[in-house]
Amino acid sequence: MRAVYADREDVVLRDGLEVHYAVYGDGQPTLLMIPPSPITHSRIWKGLIPHLARHYRVVTLDGRGNGKSGRPTDPTAHGQEANLADILAVLDATETARAFLIAHCHANWWAVSLAAAHPERVEGLVAIEPGVPYLGRPQPHWVETAPHWDEILENPTGWQLNNRHAITTRHRDWVEFFFGEQLVEPHSTKQLEDAVSWALESTGEVLAAGEEGFELDFPDRETLEATCRSLAIPTLTIHGDRDICQHVERGKAFAEITDGELIILEGAGHLTPAREPVEVNLAIRRFVDKTKGKPMKSHVWPRGMNRKKRVLFLSSPIGLGHVRRDQAIAEELRMIEPDLEVDWLAQHPVTTVLESAGERVHPASDWLASESGHIASEASGHELHCFQALRRMDEILVANFMVFQEVVEEGLYDLVIGDEAWDVDYYWHENPELKRTSNVWLTDFVGYLPMPEGGDHEAYLTADYNAEMIEHIARFPRIRDRAIFVGNPDDIYPAVFGPGLPKIRDWTEEHFSFSGYITGFTPPTPDRVEEARAELGYDSEEKVCIVTVGGSGVGRALLEKVMTAYPLAKEKIPELRMVVVAGPRIDAESLPQHPGLEVHGYVDRLYRHLAICDLAVVQGGLTTTMELTAAQRPFLYFPLTNHFEQNFHVRHRLDQYAAGRHMDYRSTDPDQLAEAIATEVSRVVHYHPVETDGARRAAQLIAELI
Amino acid sequence: MRAAYPDQSGQVERDGLELGFEVFGHGDPTILLLPTWTIIHSRFWKMQVPYLSRHYRVVTYDGPGNGRSDRVTDPARYSADSYAADAVAVLDASAVDRAVVVGYSLGAQYALRLATHHPDRVLGVTLVGPALPLVPPSPERAAAFEKLREPCPEDPQGWDKYNIAYWHQDYADFVEFFFGQLFSEPHSTKPIEDSVSWALETGPEILEAEANRPLLGISGAQVFEGVKCPILVVHGTKDRIQPHETGVEAARLTNGGLLSMAGSGHAPHVRDPVRFNLVLRDFVERLVS
Repeated sequence: MRAVYADREDVVLRDGLEVHYAVYGDGQPTLLMIPPSPITHSRIWKGLIPHLARHYRVVTLDGRGNGKSGRPTDPTAHGQEANLADILAVLDATETARAFLIAHCHANWWAVSLAAAHPERVEGLVAIEPGVPYLGRPQPHWVETAPHWDEILENPTGWQLNNRHAITTRHRDWVEFFFGEQLVEPHSTKQLEDAVSWALESTGEVLAAGEEGFELDFPDRETLEATCRSLAIPTLTIHGDRDICQHVERGKAFAEITDGELIILEGAGHLTPAREPVEVNLAIRRFVDKTKGKPMKSHVWPRGMNRKKRVLFLSSPIGLGHVRRDQAIAEELRMIEPDLEVDWLAQHPVTTVLESAGERVHPASDWLASESGHIASEASGHELHCFQALRRMDEILVANFMVFQEVVEEGLYDLVIGDEAWDVDYYWHENPELKRTSNVWLTDFVGYLPMPEGGDHEAYLTADYNAEMIEHIARFPRIRDRAIFVGNPDDIYPAVFGPGLPKIRDWTEEHFSFSGYITGFTPPTPDRVEEARAELGYDSEEKVCIVTVGGSGVGRALLEKVMTAYPLAKEKIPELRMVVVAGPRIDAESLPQHPGLEVHGYVDRLYRHLAICDLAVVQGGLTTTMELTAAQRPFLYFPLTNHFEQNFHVRHRLDQYAAGRHMDYRSTDPDQLAEAIATEVSRVVHYHPVETDGARRAAQLIAELI
Repeated sequence: MRAAYPDQSGQVERDGLELGFEVFGHGDPTILLLPTWTIIHSRFWKMQVPYLSRHYRVVTYDGPGNGRSDRVTDPARYSADSYAADAVAVLDASAVDRAVVVGYSLGAQYALRLATHHPDRVLGVTLVGPALPLVPPSPERAAAFEKLREPCPEDPQGWDKYNIAYWHQDYADFVEFFFGQLFSEPHSTKPIEDSVSWALETGPEILEAEANRPLLGISGAQVFEGVKCPILVVHGTKDRIQPHETGVEAARLTNGGLLSMAGSGHAPHVRDPVRFNLVLRDFVERLVS
């Protein structure tokens, strides 16, 4: 799922070729983002569009040769004139009188040409890793390989792949090599996958034509320099100093010749919009706002000692378990600090829970891109590849971080509490100068673990993500003022973070405090169970089996399997009363029907039912299984396939409590399931008790920081 | 020792009166920090000058009656128009064409007269806790104004001390009372001591002359007539000298920016200098970009 979708998209037809564009937001001024085509397309701006479109109007286009635009293979169709006309056509089609141009790499030459030919259409230029030839100095590999462009080389490798024959016959090799070289920053696996996949949406023929076309109508050095010098617009150049496509000297020369601002990103390579989206976003905003001379905004600044203590609580919307424990922690915090103000930055469905509890939901919550929607979109059947889903959530995380950062800069908070607020934790470590408050990190698992099906590559990726996290904390111990593991040391999965990396438990014990588990509610004591059952409409003779998959929309497949097993189970246990809770995202009507089988769309405070049932059949999510553990109820749990957290972390934790019966979704047929239901229902269990003081312990650890 | 010493220090004579001025730094643009009620002098900008002069050129001067300026008892020299004329003389003497002008309290009147009469000399105006006739004064202060010229009260308490005859009787007591009111924030002993000591550099006869100055004679929107430059207003919400509503109204009438400093008294730039300095710098940067 994307972080933001276009308000309008269309194509303009130019000489029979479709040029696709998209419009986001309706602010002022307009920013026109020009990708370097045909090697890539407008998706390179995915880390910037959500933030910029919240403040301005953003128009993107796919340059000819990639994305949703046409794919000309004739070099003359890739000249400067053709690209310039495309850009103008998009400005006209979107009724954009004037725009700031934001261009990457060689698209900057088109942007410069546009500003020179049509100064009335351009308000300013943000030149990112500008590829304006002649300026500064070229990278030697381009100079060395250019003379061999038309040759047919035998087994070319490395930069030799920069050759018409190689690009057209071994397109993927070239693209993988090229972007692999460009992403000099460690831990760039996702950016590399993205860049390669966008490049491969085009073909080698188109790419080769693009290379040739770029130089077709190129001016001489003097003309180019005169053009740059004559630009009557402000420019901002952003350049990674380790860029090996466009030498950083080129960016410096461009800034100098246009008498513009220059920002060097040290240690960064050629793809700063992808690799340093936060800094690039902020730099663009500073530049645009300064150029436009934004009027002063009136505001109230309370004297430091005139402020109430304020906390911003971020509660992850992935699963509803976080918000319950977070509310319990907030309650305990208010016991310690009665005047504490708590604002919540959260999204649906968490906001619904918070609002009905009378909590203060920060209005900027409306700007957050949906993490739970993304997770639901990543699931299919009983499968959710949770690690890959988190990786693919990258643009949502940066979009939401930018919202968070604005909130924190204006909100005068004393403390941020992030319950698995991945965006804050990641981007504050990546941009540590942006940290404005004390910060508490809460989580119930540590360490990405590879699923066996993912093979070596997934093991490499999870180790890389873990290594990045370990390096973050080692380099900037000041970002997490306190890290709290919701659980106990024994709950930590016994594994290493990856080859050559520490043991997860050792590292976590060194870097975390432990609150014990936080259930967020107290189940009825054994002598009150009958009473509680009666209140909920269950009589003492029937054996109540509750089947639930939570509110995530992931889990229809499990419901269907359990419902298929219902008649078989009912035969074995005549007193069986099965209650299926489909949740708000699954249409209860569309599920299989059986006489006597109850199906509900939504059950208020479902945990009260789970606490007194005779059996529950659930997925492997931590919250629900631990509720059942705390209530000493028998349950069958089916971890989602390829969900590393449910398969490793949660299962290990349940084993610590000797709780629940683990089931494998794929290998369990309805007969076996019915048998398991019959065996487990009403079984008297003796799980290790779940602590009830977790929220208080967490609150005490947090309160020390306010 | 001061945190910053002037690069240029001099006297300018205007119409028979010597005024002491100082110039700090060499940046651009120039910030002119105006005098205020003559009970204190230019040192009340001491928390601003070192920071601002690292980025801009800063000009300060003492108004008539205090600091290094002549102790004049002619009330005419204390009118807002006269102050504006002094300011022009200081700008001329320090070779400044245009400046961002900052007026504190009564200084707001001087800044606006300067901006009205000499729009070409003023890039923008910042008004801090402005004393402008835009909203009614607090009942306490209104009552005090009425008794200003009454005979000296017996054993005066509170705002009863705002009385010319009492100033002559026990100037130091009045001054301590006044600055105790001005700094409504807790833990303000040092700013109060500073202000009292600056007040003791002048005396009741000067304040009496000032009190008899020709009044502004205009009110409401009129005080901004002819002012074309951008305006920033800074006002404390716990200002007991000039109501916060004055600042709100000033910003509304000029469509200017308003920084309300919640919990601040009448001298937010003294008591919360960091925030004030940053906001003033932001205002200046917007003006020049």
